[in-house]
Amino acid sequence: MAHHVTSHDIPANGEHLDASRIGKVKTIALAVMVLGGLLSAYLLFFAPKSQQGSFAYSWVFALFYFFTLALGGCFWTLLHNVSNSGWGTSVRRVMENLGSVFPWLSIFAIPLLCPNVQYYLYEWMNMHRKVGGDIPTMTLITEWLAGSWNWVLNGFRYLTTGETVPMASTMADRLHHADHLMFNKHWFMNLPFWYFRTVMFFVALGYAIYRLRKLSTVQDTDPNPGTVHLFKARRRAAAFLPILALTVTFAAFDWLKGMDYTWFSTMYGVYIFAGCAINSMAVIIITVYLLRRSGYLKHVVSQEHFHIMGKLLFAFTVFWAYVTFSQFFLIWYANITEETKYFLIRNTEGWNIASIALVIMHFVLPFVVLLQQWLKKKPHLLSAVAIYMLLVHILDIYLIVIPERGISLGNIDHATFGDIAVTIKGAWLGDVLAFVTIGAGFVFFFLRALGQHALYPHRDPRILESANLSN
Amino acid sequence: MSTTRKKVYGYLAEFKSASALYKAAEKVRDAGFTKWDCYSPYPIHGLDAAMGLKRSILPYMVFFGGMTGTITAFLLAYTTQVVIYPTVVQGKPTNFFTLPAFFPIMFELTILFSGFTTLFGLLALMKLPRFNHPLFASKQFERSTDDGFFIALEARDPKFSATGTKDFLGEIGGSSIELIEEEPA
Repeated sequence: MAHHVTSHDIPANGEHLDASRIGKVKTIALAVMVLGGLLSAYLLFFAPKSQQGSFAYSWVFALFYFFTLALGGCFWTLLHNVSNSGWGTSVRRVMENLGSVFPWLSIFAIPLLCPNVQYYLYEWMNMHRKVGGDIPTMTLITEWLAGSWNWVLNGFRYLTTGETVPMASTMADRLHHADHLMFNKHWFMNLPFWYFRTVMFFVALGYAIYRLRKLSTVQDTDPNPGTVHLFKARRRAAAFLPILALTVTFAAFDWLKGMDYTWFSTMYGVYIFAGCAINSMAVIIITVYLLRRSGYLKHVVSQEHFHIMGKLLFAFTVFWAYVTFSQFFLIWYANITEETKYFLIRNTEGWNIASIALVIMHFVLPFVVLLQQWLKKKPHLLSAVAIYMLLVHILDIYLIVIPERGISLGNIDHATFGDIAVTIKGAWLGDVLAFVTIGAGFVFFFLRALGQHALYPHRDPRILESANLSN
Repeated sequence: MSTTRKKVYGYLAEFKSASALYKAAEKVRDAGFTKWDCYSPYPIHGLDAAMGLKRSILPYMVFFGGMTGTITAFLLAYTTQVVIYPTVVQGKPTNFFTLPAFFPIMFELTILFSGFTTLFGLLALMKLPRFNHPLFASKQFERSTDDGFFIALEARDPKFSATGTKDFLGEIGGSSIELIEEEPA
């Protein structure tokens, strides 16, 4: 057994990241983000229509990839606090810093709010704009509020008298004539509510992670640290956890599933969440490994922590497979037209190979590799597996977003894009550009967060318990 | 008076605390004993390393047990639903590509076989169930489920000797050292 860590081993002011060591990477990341951002803005708003359309999908793909990583950071922070965990106190700050990137990603989500980008991504919005184009936004909002209220009233009415009263809404009436499916989903899929949700994802969960990180960093300098912050964080985390669940589920519904409003799968939110949990843990593992290699966290993180993080990585790899297969299996078995289209698209031509590769690379290989205990206790090997998981996650998100591109664009704007196609030639260049741009932004904000405060909560009451972890 | 000669099981020594037991275990390990064990009322973190225990082979048994389950389930489903009685449902093919339909069965049997291998493999490795154990003859050993920490060095260990082992247990901090004999068969 290694030397027992005592409070003498922990510096009174905590360990801080040496600014000069990350300064260069931070500057490069910022420069790439700004340059890529300018180029992306051109492609999204000013380029010829054919490029705008295909790049809109690249942007959603890249945005959602890094969105899942930051969202996962929020998840692990909340989970750590709410479950009153002792093991991870030494790596908790890394989780908090990863989560704190989340509100910054709202910058990259701005294009999603612009109608000319939405035009290529979300057919249902075009339909709404077409049938309700002359209705003022305020009328739409009041209609929606009145409709929701009426819905509640009808519930009571039905329970007491067994009768309902039809709802009056001009937008709904018009949709009713245009598309019945759209009419049925209208209470959820309408522009004011969509904008409200998209803004609330960042406001609500951004607030949650901001408050939790604040509670943690205040402890570092509080003259009377005690347990008050820890208990407060636990109570807050319990209240914030539903916000996370709603954000994961509805961001997946609104941004990804909304690309085809006719398709539905109730497993979708869980599927996206599984990806969040695995890959943010992969980022945490790599970050902790790099920090330790640079001489930080030496006393408080041991191979036991890597073992636990490896086990969590393994557990969520299995969870991902379970959820992904559940979604596929029910749709495949039931064979209902409006459900199978998602997998038909992803099993056409080259996408089929990618789909099968995903099963093997995202589940079978990591399952067998991570099953081994010795490997999870070797930080450098575990980090290699974590990098591999992040690479396969690219394939996962790519398969969620990109196969939709050739089909939706052909349907939305036949004049520009021609017939629906499996893929669009040369569009992958845009995917790379969007990925590098948002990735650079992610790296920049993550490094910035890491440099702001001590690297681990050195005055947390449970830091010694965590440092002497044995499992 | 019985003249039956009893077989010696080994020496039992009591230790004051969990940490005394831990330190004594390290010394026993370093002295090169192989047939011995620690007894404590609760699990002590890191004691397996202090005792120099190698990793159990149980995980490998479970892995192959689980794989047997996977293959059994596949063969079961494939033989019945493809070979013997092809079942065409919802336009699904009756060939190898019906595989997704077999996954739930393959999953369940993998878990079942793994569970069985874990349970029965564990019992076999621990040589359980058994009716009695020589240590139960010791009155003080009853405290090993309450507040006693014990080490028993077995006579079948090549390093064991009638006097040397007793002295050794005394040197490493053991008290109430007791010779344990096996019950005549």
